Amino acid sequence: MKAQFANPFVSAAYEVLQAEVNATVERGPLSLEESQFTNKDITVMIGITGPVRGVVMYSMTEEVAKRLVSVMLGQPVNEFDSLSESAISEIGNVITGVAARELERAGYSCRISPPTLVMGQHTVISTVNLKRLVVPLKTQYGEIEISIALEEARAGARDIGLTVAKGV
Amino acid sequence: MTKILVVDDAAFMRMRTVKLLQENGYEVAEAADGQEAVEKYIQEKPDAVLMDITMPNMDGITAVKQIRKADPNAKIVMCSALGQQSMVLEAVKAGAKDFVVKPFQPDRILAAIKRLTG
Repeated sequence: MKAQFANPFVSAAYEVLQAEVNATVERGPLSLEESQFTNKDITVMIGITGPVRGVVMYSMTEEVAKRLVSVMLGQPVNEFDSLSESAISEIGNVITGVAARELERAGYSCRISPPTLVMGQHTVISTVNLKRLVVPLKTQYGEIEISIALEEARAGARDIGLTVAKGV
Repeated sequence: MTKILVVDDAAFMRMRTVKLLQENGYEVAEAADGQEAVEKYIQEKPDAVLMDITMPNMDGITAVKQIRKADPNAKIVMCSALGQQSMVLEAVKAGAKDFVVKPFQPDRILAAIKRLTG
């Protein structure tokens, strides 16, 4: 898991959260996780294919999701309904799209899948052979955690990039 | 009144775009995927189309090709999170006239529509 692949997602999240919900974002400590991923309440999952492949997940509690959607819709959201699902998926989709642009500039032209929404606490998701770089983002709406599990398709081998990743 | 067809699989994006266009005096029709977009285009004969790319059933690029086959003068603006150069080129090759990259930029969308329909 190279930091080179993770950086575009973190900077895209800053840019999109600022544009969509006027968020001030502060990055928390990074970690490289090998264990399975446990859902907070709501996770947007987006697959990446091409020279860099894997999955990126954006996870948050329902409270945080409702606060974000309230700002996006310009009205208070009390129930996380289908319109909220659509809005929160869109955030994940746009962050990933912006990151894909950066990856292309770095020479990795990838495709992204439509978002999948995983809901419910304690849902366990395994990225199987891929380690995840976990980046907590603190905003005024609460924490959004990005998990990035990507590998270079050609190489196959997994690069352990935690020391490198500190420079994210 | 100028009529715009808004195509996006995300209900939230359609809602937001429709609101923006209506507030600016446009008449709006909606479609939730490429297939529906082709049908709605023929039925509604809009002055311009705002088209997402990643959608179920039929993607936006394929829909552009089909719409342009039915109407070679169709004015279509892509509106997508996929702003990679390769994707922009593919859209233009299919016949799209402009490309607006998400995050949502109201001014950019209105300017593109105005340029094509003005």
